[in-house]
Amino acid sequence: MNLQSSRPSWGRKAIHGLVLLLAVTLTTSAFAGIFDEGDAANGETVFNANCAACHSITNEVVAAPGLGGISERWGASDELLVKWIQNPQGAAESGDPYIANLVETYVGVYGWMSAQAVSEAEIKDIMAYIKAGPAEGPADGGDVAACPTYDELQASDDNDSAAIWFLILLVLFVIIAISSTNIQRSVKNAHRESEGLEPLPNVSYGEAVRAWAWKNIVFVSIIGLFVTAYVVTVAYQEAMDVGVYEAYEPEQPIKFYHSIHVCENEVDCQYCHSSASKSKHAGIPSTNVCMNCHKGIKKGSRWGEKEIDKIYAAIGFDRTSGQYIEDYEQQPVMWNKVHNLPDHVFFSHQQHVTVGNLECQNCHGDVATFKGGRIAPVEEVAAYADANPGAGIIKLTKPTLTMGWCIECHNKAKVNVVTSDNGYYQEVHDRLKEGRGYEEMLRYMEDEKITVKDLGGWECSKCHY
Amino acid sequence: MDNSKNYWTGLDELDKTEAYQEGLENEFPAQQKVDEFLADDRLKETNTGRRDFLKFMGFSLAAATLAACETPVVKSVPYVVKPEEITPGVPNYYASTYYDGHDYGSVMVKTREGRPIFIKGNKYHGHQAGALNARITGSVIDLYDSSRLKGPVAAGQAATWDAVDAAVASGLSSARNVVVLSASVASPTTQRAINAFATKYNAKHVQYDAVSYSGISEANRRSFGSAMVPTYDFSKAKTIVSIGADFLANWLNSNLYAPQYGMTRRPEGEWMSRHFQFETTMSLTGTNADTRVMINPSDEGKVAAALYELVSGSGSGKVDGVSEMALQNAANALKATKGASLVVAGSNNPDVQEIVNAINQSLGSYGSTIDTSKPLNMFKGDDKAMTQLVRDMKGGQVDALIVYGVNPSYSWYAAEEFNEGLAKVKTSVSFSGKADETAARCGFICPDSHYLESWNDLSLTEGRVDLVQPAITPLFDTRQAQETLLKWAGVESDYYTFLRSTYNASYDMSMMYTDSDWNAAVHNGYMMAAATPVAEATVVEDASAEAPAASNLSAAINAVKKISGGSMQLAIYQKTAIGNGAHASNPYAQELPDPVTKVTWDNYVTMARSDMEAMGLNIYIAQLDHASLVKVTAGGREVVLPAYMQPGQKPGTIGIALGYGRGANGENIGRAAFQTAENGDHLTDENGALVPVGKNVFPMATMMGGYPVLANMDVSVEAMGEEYPLASTQMHHTYMGRESVVKETTLGAFLAEKDKKKGYASWNRMHALNVHEDTNNDGEINASDKKSTREFDLWHDHAVENVGHRWGMTIDLSSCIGCGDCVTACHIENNVPVVGKDEVRRHRDMHWLRIDRFYSSDYTMERGEEEGLGAISTYRKMEDPAENPQTVHMPMMCQHCNHAPCETVCPVAATTHSNEGLNQMTYNRCIGTRYCANNCPYKVRRFNWFNYMGYDKFKNVNPAQDMLTRMVLNPDVTVRARGVMEKCSMCVQRIQAGKLEAKKASAPVQDGAIQTACAESCSVNAIHFGDLNDQGSNVKKISENNRSYHALEEIGVQPNIYYMAKVRNIEDQEA
Repeated sequence: MNLQSSRPSWGRKAIHGLVLLLAVTLTTSAFAGIFDEGDAANGETVFNANCAACHSITNEVVAAPGLGGISERWGASDELLVKWIQNPQGAAESGDPYIANLVETYVGVYGWMSAQAVSEAEIKDIMAYIKAGPAEGPADGGDVAACPTYDELQASDDNDSAAIWFLILLVLFVIIAISSTNIQRSVKNAHRESEGLEPLPNVSYGEAVRAWAWKNIVFVSIIGLFVTAYVVTVAYQEAMDVGVYEAYEPEQPIKFYHSIHVCENEVDCQYCHSSASKSKHAGIPSTNVCMNCHKGIKKGSRWGEKEIDKIYAAIGFDRTSGQYIEDYEQQPVMWNKVHNLPDHVFFSHQQHVTVGNLECQNCHGDVATFKGGRIAPVEEVAAYADANPGAGIIKLTKPTLTMGWCIECHNKAKVNVVTSDNGYYQEVHDRLKEGRGYEEMLRYMEDEKITVKDLGGWECSKCHY
Repeated sequence: MDNSKNYWTGLDELDKTEAYQEGLENEFPAQQKVDEFLADDRLKETNTGRRDFLKFMGFSLAAATLAACETPVVKSVPYVVKPEEITPGVPNYYASTYYDGHDYGSVMVKTREGRPIFIKGNKYHGHQAGALNARITGSVIDLYDSSRLKGPVAAGQAATWDAVDAAVASGLSSARNVVVLSASVASPTTQRAINAFATKYNAKHVQYDAVSYSGISEANRRSFGSAMVPTYDFSKAKTIVSIGADFLANWLNSNLYAPQYGMTRRPEGEWMSRHFQFETTMSLTGTNADTRVMINPSDEGKVAAALYELVSGSGSGKVDGVSEMALQNAANALKATKGASLVVAGSNNPDVQEIVNAINQSLGSYGSTIDTSKPLNMFKGDDKAMTQLVRDMKGGQVDALIVYGVNPSYSWYAAEEFNEGLAKVKTSVSFSGKADETAARCGFICPDSHYLESWNDLSLTEGRVDLVQPAITPLFDTRQAQETLLKWAGVESDYYTFLRSTYNASYDMSMMYTDSDWNAAVHNGYMMAAATPVAEATVVEDASAEAPAASNLSAAINAVKKISGGSMQLAIYQKTAIGNGAHASNPYAQELPDPVTKVTWDNYVTMARSDMEAMGLNIYIAQLDHASLVKVTAGGREVVLPAYMQPGQKPGTIGIALGYGRGANGENIGRAAFQTAENGDHLTDENGALVPVGKNVFPMATMMGGYPVLANMDVSVEAMGEEYPLASTQMHHTYMGRESVVKETTLGAFLAEKDKKKGYASWNRMHALNVHEDTNNDGEINASDKKSTREFDLWHDHAVENVGHRWGMTIDLSSCIGCGDCVTACHIENNVPVVGKDEVRRHRDMHWLRIDRFYSSDYTMERGEEEGLGAISTYRKMEDPAENPQTVHMPMMCQHCNHAPCETVCPVAATTHSNEGLNQMTYNRCIGTRYCANNCPYKVRRFNWFNYMGYDKFKNVNPAQDMLTRMVLNPDVTVRARGVMEKCSMCVQRIQAGKLEAKKASAPVQDGAIQTACAESCSVNAIHFGDLNDQGSNVKKISENNRSYHALEEIGVQPNIYYMAKVRNIEDQEA
């Protein structure tokens, strides 16, 4: 929706009139007012933290009107601007005609903005940042340059194509080689015929190969040995990979990109996977969670309206009117499950996220670089750990989502029993302080740390019941 | 005391029959007789050759290998709009109330992702702390019963609500006489809805109960002028005399009386109740009685009269054939605790009840153990009105009949007459959720929603209203019966609004319920309402306007003394799991071994050994022995059922349970109600009709003065000369001849050594072995140097006894009544498969928790000494199969031994010990050698012989085979595959969840915060669960009590489960 054109022209006139009025009546310093006093650098930080989810500093509509040019069009007092941000409904009650117009124009479409906990000084910083306008580079802020581009992500799809071409070439080569021997023989025979010699006997390929192999037996044996060793090794490795689904990334019904949401837009993991801290399941966000943003963001940067329309089709939302369709028969989105644990494995996100305070990246890797859901191979997670030494990632070696991987981590992960402020672990510690408990504690401390394993993390019924 | 009694589970064990001995030697017994197996016709159909077999195998292997390499694509479907209160993976609990006209319980419904999966008691706000029984606990599965109607039915065809509403409305508008026939209405708002309907159509309302207690109401009307069933309080009763009332399992609100009774059965308390039971068939209550006396059904009134005479001193108090001493003892005990005594009778004969009222009156029970000011809103059925209704129907005087919550075509004693009348009713409607016996004969079926899908209010007694709230939206196109009634009555309101209106100012209530009050009431499951408007039915009876009889005790006494019986009498009783038959299609109920007989999936005739031997019937029912079929003829009706030898059955009587023979005309009431063949298909008779489990004996009830009495005083029993297999679990999982599992004593002996240190009282001496070291420091090594078995270690000690958690359980044999609620709760919580009768016969029942029922003869060492018998003669006497044995119920599950014999023999370390004291079973590691089960001294390990989830054989019994019913499975517990062992895990899923809660709350695990399913369901608080390393925990304290002991202590496996010795309140010489 183009907001520029839909804005009533008398509003623009009013702004100009007001600006003129202000210019006449106010001193220069007062006129500089709220849009000029602040620190734009700090404003950027505050804006990104509080406002960027819905507003852009250009005219682009994110989930609410863009704020580009606000310093020119704001038609009410500075105090009201502060109030409009800190308490929108309160500001509306002031009766100011400009505010009344804003309410009439936008609230119906975007809803009320919630009251923002920003100070007046911070608002000044924000306004300075908006007035300064976008810096060189992408308009929507954030460290977009570091995010994988569409082409990079696409390229990862094409990894296999080279191998396929290679295979086709190989087959062609073999066919040509075989037919060329035929041609060779025909040519030779034709030559011999012309010379009046007997044609060469028609030996089968097998016989020819065997004859050749006997002639070069040493060479063939050595090659054969290598081939056998290679096949055994490959077979063994393949067998070890049965049930290992590293880098598994199934096609999804919606081309959802983690990279756009997590990397470019910096949405917190638990905004969508909100039950990770409350339940054993991290949860796939329900469609209404998508709509929190996509009610406003109607066009994606990669696929335009096509993919977002699938959300609307699921929940019943009319993109033109911006309204939910009444009595719509909603259809859930049938995602393909990525992290498939066998039925006999119990895993609780809550335990790891809430109690263990693990970062999501510990198991899921650098999701910010992923397209859809994907099982992060353990090497990638280790590389991420190396690149981000402060992130507290435990480096592992066994393939992701195998039992070896689980227990490797349980053996490495420390549990803070001694100085924990968690009453549960204090009780665990108390029971380790004397007598038999102390002996146990000494045994735990043989590797100079109390690990999850020491507290039962390697026991079958921790995960299997 | 441990060696002075002989315990046995069944006659086979007592007599050491050949089959029993064979079973003893063989942990996994031969599957069946070879000739029987070879007689199987299906065997001949198999013609797979060896080469074919190899081909198939090769193909399967390749296919399996390929399939394993393929990434399975699993769909993961989130909500479109997630309800705020649901977090996937986190259970929600909803308080509600169960009432089916028979049982009443305050429940807490556990839902996962919106599906009810478990029902437990509403501990904080429920009646008797939410005491339930196995029927209520198992009711969750009825919600997912695929035999439920999917929508309204008109003339046997699926119809729409609009069509049915219109058709019924036209039928009703032209009807002159409209009758609503319902079970006792305990809901104020349902009554309002019925009244609204009755007003519009000038309808009569008749209430009747399948198992009638109208005799009690009538007796109270005669004695006190008001027809009602009072409230009983067993917790105050120091002496209880029950004449045929199974008040722990079936009589009135048995599930609420059980915890009251349980409170009085702890010898540590100020006093312990003394319980006399006079009855015919061994009931659950009878097994718990201190003194049990066998009587004929015809003598119930006479016993009551004799007790009255003895208590009031007005007569000799003798009854032919009933021990005079027992009557005298009972009367003396009653008199000694005047004001805290209680006499109850099971008979529906008002004369008997009138005499019982008189006894209670002279004992001062009214006001203490009986409260007539709080009449029950249940059991208001009027048998006379029902009889009149059937008469009217047969006379064509009823144009429209609405049947709500009852099934008279099955449960009315004169069902044929009812059916005959029903055929003459022009517009007949049933609200039944299934096309049951009555509904199938009605013109319209307007299926009511399940109680877990409904709103309602219920009032057990005045002053308190319990709420029913839906835990799931209706699965099918069903409509709550009340809403249907309102619609037909022309009330433009949905039932929820109508319900709310009962509790606001516009309806005359003394308390206003605002939204927040209402929400609090819904949250808690109840509210206190000063007045509950359960009105009397608008119009009840008019035809038989006899002048009500005034109280005339001597007339009643004379009347009961005139009741005579033939040489064989029939007592009709109810089983703990099946009750009145409403749950006949519930596989959990069918598979739950009857607490007394331990028979599953069947109905049978209980008989005394002497009678059976006289008739030449087979008295043993071990695996290879079939029961003999007998034909029972009573009042012109006959049934053929297998005979079961029941110790404690009065010779000259038989007993048959109600609740069987459902769906006798092939009505679709659920698959589990019908017998299955060995291959899992339903059995069919010669006409191709399904064969119900058991036979219906409602028609054998005797009408006495207009009141159906569940007995028949003159029956004949005739051997058929045919055999029938019964599936009884009593011979399964024996202790291989080790019988020191039970410890018991008498109250006197207990009190004499009450303060002795644990392990030193004569009735609970610790087991010690002689050692070659000077343990008592007397300077020499001799026979008096002993060490407790606890001090012998074959293995390295686990550190668990001091460090971290050590989960443990205590089970009080004194308060356990053996009701089986824990077994059902365990069954549902842990996805334990239901295996069906055929598999139970092969000892393959899967119950993780079983209740061993031991009989012991009433002959003791002490008595032998007194009678001057030598030890050998005394033992011989003790082995005499007592006709009326004493009983011990002992819940037995994995004992989580700290020195577990199973762990050391597992070749793949699939069963290991956790550092929290749990014996862990890792299914995915198990390869099924079954060594562990062989080595388990308690025989608590179960082997998955089949893929119960998928194998065709279980399609008619196992709920997990049905795509709808499997929704009841607990998603936190693995469904086990074929070929693995399983056993009690001490609900490790709940332990893990409880620990996580504690970690999140930053606090140690609070005692009682984690409950296993069995401990949670135990209404008598016999089972406690907790952390034995928590010094303040309940289990720690109980484990140090001097009554507590380890089962099979002498083998030194050091279990984490403690039992507390049973104490009987009997005089030693009387025993």
